[in-house]
Amino acid sequence: MARIKFERVSKRYPNGFKALENLNLDIQDKEFLVLLGPSGCGKSTTLNMIAGLEDVTEGNLFFDSAVVNAVPPHRRDVAMVFQSYALYPHKSVYENIAFGLRMRKHPQDEIDRRVRDAARRLEIEPLLERRPNQLSGGQRQRVALGRALVRQPSVFLMDEPLSNLDAALRISMRAEIKQLHQAMHTTFVYVTHDQAEALTLADRIVVMREGVVQQIGSPDEIYERAHNMFVASFLGNPPINYLDGQLEVGNGAVTFRRGGLALLIPPELAQKLTAFAGREVAIGIRAEDVSEHGAPPAGQALAGQITSVLPVGSDNFLEIEVDRKQLFFRVGKEVHHKVGDSVVLAVNVSRLHVFDKQGGQSLIWQKVQA
Amino acid sequence: MNAQTRAARKSVHHTVGAYDQKAAMLFLTPMVVVLGVVAVFPVLYSFWISLFDIKLSRPHRTPFVWFDNYARVFQDHMFWDSVTRTVSFTVMSVAAILLVALCMALLLNEEFRGRRFLSAMLLVPWAIPFVANGLMWKWIYDSGYGALNGILYQLGFIDKYLVWLGDPDKTLPLIANAFIWKAVPLPTILLLVTLKSIPSDLYGAAKVDGANVWRRFFHITLPSLKPAFILVMIYETMMAVRHFDLFFILTEGGPADASHVLSWEVYAETFRKLSFGTGAALAYIMALLIFVIAYSVIRTLGNKL
Amino acid sequence: MANLGRRALLLIASIAFLAYVLAPIAWLVSSSFQSESELTSKPPHWIPHQPTLENFATIFTANDRVVTYETRSEGVTATSGFVPSTAKYLLPAMWNSFVVAITVVVLNLLVSIPAAYAMAKIRFIGRTSSIYFMLVTRVIPDIALVVPFFLFIRKLGLLDNLLSLIITYLAITIPFSVFVLLSYFESLPDELDKAARVDGCSRLQTLLRVFLPLAMPSLVAVMLFSFLTSWNEFLLALMFTQTPAAQTMPIIVASFTSDFTISFSFINAAGVVAIIPPVILAVVFERYIVSGLTAGAVKG
Repeated sequence: MARIKFERVSKRYPNGFKALENLNLDIQDKEFLVLLGPSGCGKSTTLNMIAGLEDVTEGNLFFDSAVVNAVPPHRRDVAMVFQSYALYPHKSVYENIAFGLRMRKHPQDEIDRRVRDAARRLEIEPLLERRPNQLSGGQRQRVALGRALVRQPSVFLMDEPLSNLDAALRISMRAEIKQLHQAMHTTFVYVTHDQAEALTLADRIVVMREGVVQQIGSPDEIYERAHNMFVASFLGNPPINYLDGQLEVGNGAVTFRRGGLALLIPPELAQKLTAFAGREVAIGIRAEDVSEHGAPPAGQALAGQITSVLPVGSDNFLEIEVDRKQLFFRVGKEVHHKVGDSVVLAVNVSRLHVFDKQGGQSLIWQKVQA
Repeated sequence: MNAQTRAARKSVHHTVGAYDQKAAMLFLTPMVVVLGVVAVFPVLYSFWISLFDIKLSRPHRTPFVWFDNYARVFQDHMFWDSVTRTVSFTVMSVAAILLVALCMALLLNEEFRGRRFLSAMLLVPWAIPFVANGLMWKWIYDSGYGALNGILYQLGFIDKYLVWLGDPDKTLPLIANAFIWKAVPLPTILLLVTLKSIPSDLYGAAKVDGANVWRRFFHITLPSLKPAFILVMIYETMMAVRHFDLFFILTEGGPADASHVLSWEVYAETFRKLSFGTGAALAYIMALLIFVIAYSVIRTLGNKL
Repeated sequence: MANLGRRALLLIASIAFLAYVLAPIAWLVSSSFQSESELTSKPPHWIPHQPTLENFATIFTANDRVVTYETRSEGVTATSGFVPSTAKYLLPAMWNSFVVAITVVVLNLLVSIPAAYAMAKIRFIGRTSSIYFMLVTRVIPDIALVVPFFLFIRKLGLLDNLLSLIITYLAITIPFSVFVLLSYFESLPDELDKAARVDGCSRLQTLLRVFLPLAMPSLVAVMLFSFLTSWNEFLLALMFTQTPAAQTMPIIVASFTSDFTISFSFINAAGVVAIIPPVILAVVFERYIVSGLTAGAVKG
């Protein structure tokens, strides 16, 4: 089983609550797909549907070309890692890992081989005879991974598996999961609310909000070419800066104006904006998309007053007030700043985001009515 | 079978929920069937019977008499007397149970050596059958050679052996004592568990505020126990009102009807007078009474929670 | 100093506790080891001066000592106490009680476990209704069952049959069992259920392989409850059984008390024999009973 396809899938609960709205998603074989969004956005629901733990109210779910809406979880070839690990308390680590294989009636010697293999790969061999309540959180997490791994399923499902770990462990586990994916050559579907995690792990990201898909794309696509303001704000730390203003179209050039601020949109982006003269827009500038080397060229200058300086190791965070708006930027430490100083930054306009102020969609990457 | 038919077949059970529903129905069926037959059906049938004039002494004539049986019951002197006796028995018992259980729970809540042993012994009265309980107390209360007489005589409280169960004034309290003795363990456990769940921080804060033992007891312990008290009250009231075994073993409703309570009345009417119609009506009234009591207790006291 | 006072208080309270709980039974046991003549002394001998096993022997060999006109004079003369004619039925009656109780326990488990699991973990249509149904049946008093059951069972010809008792006891015990198991299952995490199903368990396998082992304490409590309730039940057994073939232990024991010429020592011995199984069960499994009970009760 290689492909999972959601076709016009919706999920409505008996009390009327709509968890998923018209989901269309094609998951490619062997890809690492991340479902990203705030809580309540429907990402866990989607995952549970693939597992068969939640019903499809409308639409069809395909595994390859077969409709699996009615197939109960124990007849699907998926393995799942839960946020709380859900290890069987009354079984040893060995039995926990072996359980799925036993249920599917694999011969004992094969079970033994696979379990020990998985335990070795996850470095939990010495723990095989212990019970879950004798393990630390990190160890339990590995056992949960082992339990899924050993089944060699067609799809791995992971529901925020790293949320309960402390920060350092989380980062190292991320790397391990990425390696696992490369070694297993299997489809991974991963749910998280942590955008950094998504950007690190994913081949593709599905950004969701309140049951509706906002954007599907590679991490770069999502980060640099956000389809709407929600996606743009959700990814990136610190969050993207927004400035309201107008688009001015004239002389073959598009300019963003706000009070005294004028930013010239570069040609490759401007050609998509010519229809929006006079439009109320919000531009997005990411914190790292500014620089401070010498005087910025006209049309790229952002002037403001520094309201706070936050050193972060190798860089500085500057909080700047521009036209009564507070913006956050990250700059190098070469120039010394203090609160109250005036500063002019050079904006990297080729990475500018331009959104329709009313609807929030990107005027560059989405089709919006003029 | 081609793909189209297969897809069509699949759409009949088009959800995982259908599998779950089937499984759940399968799992539930035994319980529903069994309870339907042995619990629901008799209750409905019982009501039906109470509308007939059935006397086993003349089994062939069973006229339908609407609510005559009920009317007869309500007009019967004996019925109302039984109710009164049941009420006094119940009130006596429940009050004493609460008191004794509270003391026991407070004791078991403390940490001391031998507490485990005491806990294990606690369940003994609960475990023994009511008939054995009745037997035991009957022997203790015996007017000729009983232990009660023996102790009081030896301690000098009385100078000759007294009649206990045979004395109409003493009957109900004595039966109540036997009932209480056996009933105490369960409420004790319930109160104990509730006691254990009171956060010790509350007591710590109170001590710092200067409250002494009594204050702490009245302002923290008792209010926290309130839900458990209510639960015990409801449960033991229901148990006391419907209790039968001890009345049978100890006094058979006597002497001179001193212990002729409602449950005895049902028994006497049905199995001694063989009047099933009125017996059923009585049983039904009793059941309704219990329902009503439980409901009203929950309502009035529960609201004050 | 306060500590000493506390210890003294606890000691007194503990003694009072034990006295209250155990003294009546201790007296029962003591009486059972006394011969009739010793038993009828005033004031009573708290500890037997001449302990005897005769009473117990009578129970196990009761056949020989039935009271007839001829054998009357062979009885103990002090109080003309005799062995009741139903004495020889005590052991068979205990066997009947045992059979009924075990059957009720087994059937309880078979019926309650799946139902409780389904209500706790499966989202299905009719779930809330079934929970209400179960709660309502829990409140029905045995009194309400007496008349209709009697007539119904008579019609079926099952009147003197252990089967009638088994059926009736199921009505009393199942709602309680389901309630206790339901509370316990609900306290087990949902994700365990999901993990098992993804791992390849059908609903039945999830129940048997994952939830059942984890629910041991409440299972033990349910088994004990159903056993003890059946063992001790009196009223309904009185109604539905007429001959010793089907009568259970409480009936036989009760029959002793209504005969005025009975020897007390024998009755007490019978009482002791009757209470031994339940008491042993209760003391040994005390912890399970407590945890099984309170899981359900505290949640109301």
